[in-house]
Amino acid sequence: MGWSSQQSARLHLEMDVLSRYFPTFFLKDSIIPGHAIIEGTLRSNAGNEYLVRLHVPADLPNSVPIIEIVSPVLRDRFGHSLVDLGTSYPMHLLKPENGVVRICHYSASHWSPNITFSKVLLKIRAWIEAYEGHLDSGYAIDHYLPHMEA
Amino acid sequence: MTPLVYVFEEQARDLLSQTGDVRLVDGVAYGFDDWTVFHAYTEKPYFTPSGFICPCVAIRSDAAGFVDEEKLMAEVRRRVDPDGRPIVVLVTGTGAGGSPSCRALILTENGIAGADTRFVPRRSELFTRNTGLLETSALAEKKVVIVGLGSGGSPIALELARAGIGHFTLIDFDRLELGNISRHVCGVNDLGRYKTLAVRDQLLQKNPFAEVSTMEVNVNQSLSQVEDAVAASDLLIVASDNDQSRFNLNQMSLNNNKVALYGRAITRAAGGDVLRVRPWKGPCYNCIFSSGLIDGREEEMSQKRQALAVLPAYVEEDKINTMIQVGLSSDIAPIANMMTKMALVELSRGIETGMSTVDEDLASDFYVWANRREEAYANWPRMGFKWTHPSILRWYGARVDRDPNCLVCGGHLEQEPTT
Ligand SMILES: [Zn+2]
Repeated sequence: MGWSSQQSARLHLEMDVLSRYFPTFFLKDSIIPGHAIIEGTLRSNAGNEYLVRLHVPADLPNSVPIIEIVSPVLRDRFGHSLVDLGTSYPMHLLKPENGVVRICHYSASHWSPNITFSKVLLKIRAWIEAYEGHLDSGYAIDHYLPHMEA
Repeated sequence: MTPLVYVFEEQARDLLSQTGDVRLVDGVAYGFDDWTVFHAYTEKPYFTPSGFICPCVAIRSDAAGFVDEEKLMAEVRRRVDPDGRPIVVLVTGTGAGGSPSCRALILTENGIAGADTRFVPRRSELFTRNTGLLETSALAEKKVVIVGLGSGGSPIALELARAGIGHFTLIDFDRLELGNISRHVCGVNDLGRYKTLAVRDQLLQKNPFAEVSTMEVNVNQSLSQVEDAVAASDLLIVASDNDQSRFNLNQMSLNNNKVALYGRAITRAAGGDVLRVRPWKGPCYNCIFSSGLIDGREEEMSQKRQALAVLPAYVEEDKINTMIQVGLSSDIAPIANMMTKMALVELSRGIETGMSTVDEDLASDFYVWANRREEAYANWPRMGFKWTHPSILRWYGARVDRDPNCLVCGGHLEQEPTT
């Protein structure tokens, strides 16, 4: 099964918005629902670059997309790999898969089809700033980013 | 008392219509209450029967209606080992006017006793009592898809079967667990079974002629299969327990132009709401969700699987357990009842029924109900003697319009969303 016509239109819309606000992001393996990913680079205020991967859900736009930071390998201020932290409330991390960090952005109870990938990436940008804040100060990420109430 | 034997008229007809030399047919019977009441089948029952099983043998009387009882009984005894139980013997024939007739005998160690026999008739007769309020012959052709057969969906399914709806597709991948029983239409006898199959049996108890198909799938993972069922239906009833499934079903309802009803209870069933989506004519599920009228965080968490699917992964087990707080069945009932009525209004459209004035009343697409002054309703005034202010135990319709910025039904996919 391929994408439905509504999903194709939505994917178009998503890429259209991304091309305006996050022009480095492009779509890969877009033919098969469940395999499509969008990858691009986010640059922090300090000028560091992060390769970010968004997994397009097979039921686009009805569930939360998985977001991974593919590179660089992220470590906390104390040198521990963020992957090794596993699921982490203070660092806004979900369970990592295949050795790649997954960011907790929108929870399922806060998701709605009105949320675009562009909005998701804005949250990832905020996470990156908070992460760099953590590297500077040692405060956990949730010091900078308030949690959504569960 | 004289034993009472119920026989499905259709099965008797089938037996009589068989050609060739059909002498004795092995069936099955189920006895109740010290073998005073029997349900006898000449073929396999098409829903799970209850009662204590005992042998049943059916015979066709000859054209003259004559049966040599002594000879027959000897033959039955040679054929069946009753193992201390009675044997139900059915003697079928064709009565006056060509309709089937059936006589039953109960064969025990003590001898033969005659029994009163009653037919369970065909559909038309089963629902004659409804004539006048609901045109059941028309509703029998209607097909509903019900997603979620828990404490909300199962009573709706049952009520629609009672009203004479003839076709159901039941979708749920959950099984009945001990914790569900007190709020579910099914009981201890159904523990461990798929809710779909257990509810199917309940529906067939109310309407043995209903056509009930089931799908034990997760809506979010079997999109095309579920969409096919929605496309083939007259109405979609959503009583699932998570927004992802409602978003997916909302898309299917819009794609196929099928009216959908969504109901849910909030925490500990302090209240709930019901949404009717008439695709492209009124607000869709996402319009309402985005308006803030529905808040995913308030949803009642009735089991761990549901909580795990919705909550962020780092929420600890202790917290999940405290969030699982279920309401009473009587608090779910008003929501299920409202959905049933709205379903009957939708299914009766274009048919002359007593539901048309209800249709005029239900001008709103979104209804709110409070069971107790808690949670979202904590600030409501006491009911007292006034009916001019909001109060518990009453329905309130809210005027909600379609959201032109809805990314699902707004039809503006070319436009730029506001970030
Ligand atoms: Zn909408």
